Amino acid sequence: MSGQRNGRLSSLPALRRLTPDRRRTLYAFAAAVLLFLIGALVRPGFIEPSSVKSILVVASFVGFVATGQAFVILIGGIDLSVPWVLNASAILLVTSSLGQDDRAAEAVLLCLGLGLLTGLVNGLGIVFLSVPAVVMTLGMNGIMQGLTLGLSKGFTCHACSSSSPAVVRDAITNNLLGVPADLYVWLGVVLLVTFALGFTTFGRRVYAVGNNERASYLAGVNVRLTTVVLYMLSGLFAAFTGIALVGYGGSPSLGIGDPYLFQSIAAVVIGGMSILGGRGSYLGVVAGSITLVALVSVLQAMNMPDYGRSIVYGVVVLLILLLYGREEREV
Amino acid sequence: MSRPKLGQSVRRSRWSHFTAQNVPSLLALLILIATLVFYAVLFSTSLGRLPGNFELTSTTNNAMPLVFSAVGQTIVFLSRGIDLSVGGMMDISNSLAATRMGGSPGSMVLWSIIILLVGAAGGLINGLLVALGRLQPILVTLATLSIFQGVAIKVLPQPGGKVPTGYTDFLTNPGHPWALIFIGLLVLFWLAFRRTAFGVAIYAVGNDEESARANGIRVVRTRVGAYVVGGMFAAAAGLFLAATTTSGDATAGDSYTLTSIAAAFLGGTTIFGGRGSALGSIAGALVLSILISVLFFAGINQLYEDFYQGLFLVLAVALSALVGYFLRRKK
Amino acid sequence: MTGADGTERSSPIIEAVGVSKSFGAVRALSEASFGAGAGEVHGLVGENGAGKSTLIKILSGVLRPDSGEIRVEGQRVELSSPQAAQALGIRTVFQELTLLPWMTVAENLLIRREPKGFGPLLRRREMSSRAEEMLASLGIENIDPLELVANLPLDQRQIVEIVRTVTREPKILFLDEPTSSLAMREVEWLFGLLNQMRGEGRCIVFTSHRWREVESVADRITIFRDGRHVETHAEIDEDHAVTLMTGRKVETMYPELPPADDEEVALEVRNLGGGSLSDISFSLHKGEILGVGGLEGQGQRDLFLALFGAGEKSEGDILIDGKPARIRNPNDAIRAKLGIALVPEDRKSEGLLLPMSVRDNLTLPVMKLFSAGGVIRSRREMRLVQQMVERLQIRLRGSEQAVATLSGGNQQKVLVGRWLLADSRILLLYDVTRGVDVATKHDIYELMLALISEGRSILFYSSDTEEVAHLSHRVLVMREGRINAELKGSEIDAESIVTAALREEDVPA
Repeated sequence: MSGQRNGRLSSLPALRRLTPDRRRTLYAFAAAVLLFLIGALVRPGFIEPSSVKSILVVASFVGFVATGQAFVILIGGIDLSVPWVLNASAILLVTSSLGQDDRAAEAVLLCLGLGLLTGLVNGLGIVFLSVPAVVMTLGMNGIMQGLTLGLSKGFTCHACSSSSPAVVRDAITNNLLGVPADLYVWLGVVLLVTFALGFTTFGRRVYAVGNNERASYLAGVNVRLTTVVLYMLSGLFAAFTGIALVGYGGSPSLGIGDPYLFQSIAAVVIGGMSILGGRGSYLGVVAGSITLVALVSVLQAMNMPDYGRSIVYGVVVLLILLLYGREEREV
Repeated sequence: MSRPKLGQSVRRSRWSHFTAQNVPSLLALLILIATLVFYAVLFSTSLGRLPGNFELTSTTNNAMPLVFSAVGQTIVFLSRGIDLSVGGMMDISNSLAATRMGGSPGSMVLWSIIILLVGAAGGLINGLLVALGRLQPILVTLATLSIFQGVAIKVLPQPGGKVPTGYTDFLTNPGHPWALIFIGLLVLFWLAFRRTAFGVAIYAVGNDEESARANGIRVVRTRVGAYVVGGMFAAAAGLFLAATTTSGDATAGDSYTLTSIAAAFLGGTTIFGGRGSALGSIAGALVLSILISVLFFAGINQLYEDFYQGLFLVLAVALSALVGYFLRRKK
Repeated sequence: MTGADGTERSSPIIEAVGVSKSFGAVRALSEASFGAGAGEVHGLVGENGAGKSTLIKILSGVLRPDSGEIRVEGQRVELSSPQAAQALGIRTVFQELTLLPWMTVAENLLIRREPKGFGPLLRRREMSSRAEEMLASLGIENIDPLELVANLPLDQRQIVEIVRTVTREPKILFLDEPTSSLAMREVEWLFGLLNQMRGEGRCIVFTSHRWREVESVADRITIFRDGRHVETHAEIDEDHAVTLMTGRKVETMYPELPPADDEEVALEVRNLGGGSLSDISFSLHKGEILGVGGLEGQGQRDLFLALFGAGEKSEGDILIDGKPARIRNPNDAIRAKLGIALVPEDRKSEGLLLPMSVRDNLTLPVMKLFSAGGVIRSRREMRLVQQMVERLQIRLRGSEQAVATLSGGNQQKVLVGRWLLADSRILLLYDVTRGVDVATKHDIYELMLALISEGRSILFYSSDTEEVAHLSHRVLVMREGRINAELKGSEIDAESIVTAALREEDVPA
């Protein structure tokens, strides 16, 4: 209850006045800024606009996946099917559009539909078959992996060699007023989700279910529907990221989704959301995504080899967890 | 003064209790038998003979890493935890074995012990962070997974190295199904483990932490212990992986995080702790391994492997939930 | 330690002297003293919240007192943990059982003292025969040692818990509400056991809400009120004890109940059954408080949940304003057409979203009132929240304040306020005054009267029978999922409710 020991950040009066959620969001943003400053020390070009822009673009992909992950984590769930839903969507985009612009719209809708569908199946399994979320989404990840590999014949199919339709590529990489279009898309997503979680009945219900499922049910909230919708959103965002990655990189590959499982969960947690649900703000997740990618970039700037990056990644997440865990007990 | 007696004696047989209390594990055993029969039928119709020594040997050898990692995962599950770092620990173990182990029996024994101790140390880190740091297991082990993967790549940057032939012959002899002996030993180990104070304590903590504490069980020590044993099993699984593949690869273990969880679930151990058995998990691991051969002989492209594994996992867990539901209904 | 009437026997084996304990702002024990001797069965009685459970927890090493002294056999001791207490021969059966549900009865009985076999291995086969002996030696034959605890009914679980504790040969045994879920025969069994233990020179302290039980077995009775020791007696009649427990506030505490003369039926239930309920029929009039009484756990909870669409209802009809209503889930019940509201028993786990704000908690079921197309109009919402906060005099710093930081009474008001916003006409109030301080209780009573004066109807259950008696126009007494009796007007008092609740027990079925 107290937490009045000196020297602790949270004992600063200005920070004390903030709710824990907001304080963590602030920490996450502060960490991102700090990393950029460290980067500038390591390599002078680090905080030049072009460098910052490219870091933010990479961060946006983490941010998209983490948005979906945040939705399900807010109700105490988890989505482990993210990697291969993303990958399937990326491959489906090129195989269904064959790189042609006039097929791009249908292909994009098809991919998003795929994401929604996998989310729907996840949600239904969790709600009606009472399969634990970990198992259901883990199984779904395998199912999507197998389907993707099988149907694309191990990514050797004829259509697999197509690349992204030009419109999709442009929508992600073109510059608008000197800023990559992708960042506008991210900004749009951030505004939309912030609004949805903060100012709509839907957002209110999400937090309610995450805090106490039983009490929400007894207050008339349709817990099952809410749960299913959130898993669908997670699938949607994973699929969307697949599209964005193909637009960014030009063509998909096998395994492009794999890093995003760890990164999406880490971004959500660094952003201050509780894995048990109901707590945390979406802006924190945005900050978490930037922090995570900035960290990688700093390590790259320091010429840290792959293995070192992986280790530092893990250590940083653990340290942040310990820091937040400590705050939790104080408040 | 004579005291009143309570009720009439009602006793069911030991066997009836055993079956009622082990429905999920027995279900896993049934699924294993069904899979084996299915496999034999498919095999003999396509090759005109029954599977023989060669098939038995290769299937068993390929299953060993999964069997061991699944048993480790089960012990962590029983303590109401989850270990996502299994794959990373297998990577470390696999890399160490392929680079450090010499051809002499002394070196093999020494390095096997060292590697098992490394596994225990990794588990200790997980356990301390979970039990003393009071952090969520899923987050802790996700972070240590990243760390372990980094360490493994440091040990063995490029796939390669060589496991001594003698070691392969001992653990996973390519000519004879001697690895079955290890499965037998594992079963014996489990039967004994279940009868130790530590084994009982893990079940008790998984059942209800507060009640376990009230009964005088040292909760922190037990939870840490579960992760330590889990880490040792992951290291052992990595040794078997190195032995069957005869060379090292610092990423070869990655997929086992998910498959070990799948095998434990398939074997009927719940993620909510305190219920289940490693025997079920062994059956689950064998099912998942044999499934691959089944797919082969059913003429299904191997690329669909993950699809069927995922589907099997979800269906088996849902089936187990349904069976449990109807059994309760019947009462 | 002296009883008020000087019934001191031998020196007490366990003693609490001037012990105080607070939880936040709530003072559970203030300067409380207590003592019990060897070879004694000591009854500890008092109302809910009198501090009995807190005292027992402190004397068992589960809680640490803020101040005061604990003595065992005259020596001052620090009970820093349950283990420390157990080392002194103190064992306790708590209200919340500490059994491990997915382990067998035998494993539970023998945990940490399993028969040892070869090396570190335990002999599992011997465990069941050992457990069988333990049960048999205490005269229990209807519990199978190989059964999982999760599969046992509540009363048998309670017995297993008692057996496990008693067979550890405690010098001092505490039992907190051991009989609440036991049937008559099982209570007799327990008291036989306690008598035997008294003969062996052990000290037994137990609490119970059932006066007759306490009277029949206790050598001495200590009465607690508001966290203090009131008196200790060897002989005391029930009336006197009740006066001591309630502090003579009974008459003045409850407001005058205005007559209910509206004959219009708001809610009618016909032959409702399912779950633990069978064949329940009654009607609730407009502007009426219909009390639901009976011993605890006689299906009252299931009845309330079923009416709200959150429980099992397999047969029967519910009619609202004379029209059959289809209630499949709480959402159906809440809708304006039906206007049913439930304030559940456990406001922390079933009612409130503790970390969320007062505003969020108040408006969760009624967001339709101030949203368009799913978008919340904050200003309209704030106006509604403000009105309700003022009307119910909820004390808070701001509507963004987390509900968790409010006092119990104010939390309860938030829950009631939620349904006033929803304009619910039928309120199902389930034990709303449990764990609430006296002043807030009074507020809640006044609020109930205000609600019925607006023509709303209330179905009212309370674990405090006195409260049901004073605040109900009629009382339905439940027993084993059925309505055992309906009391009206001058028939209603606590005694008649208890009598009706026990009616069948006297006549063996």
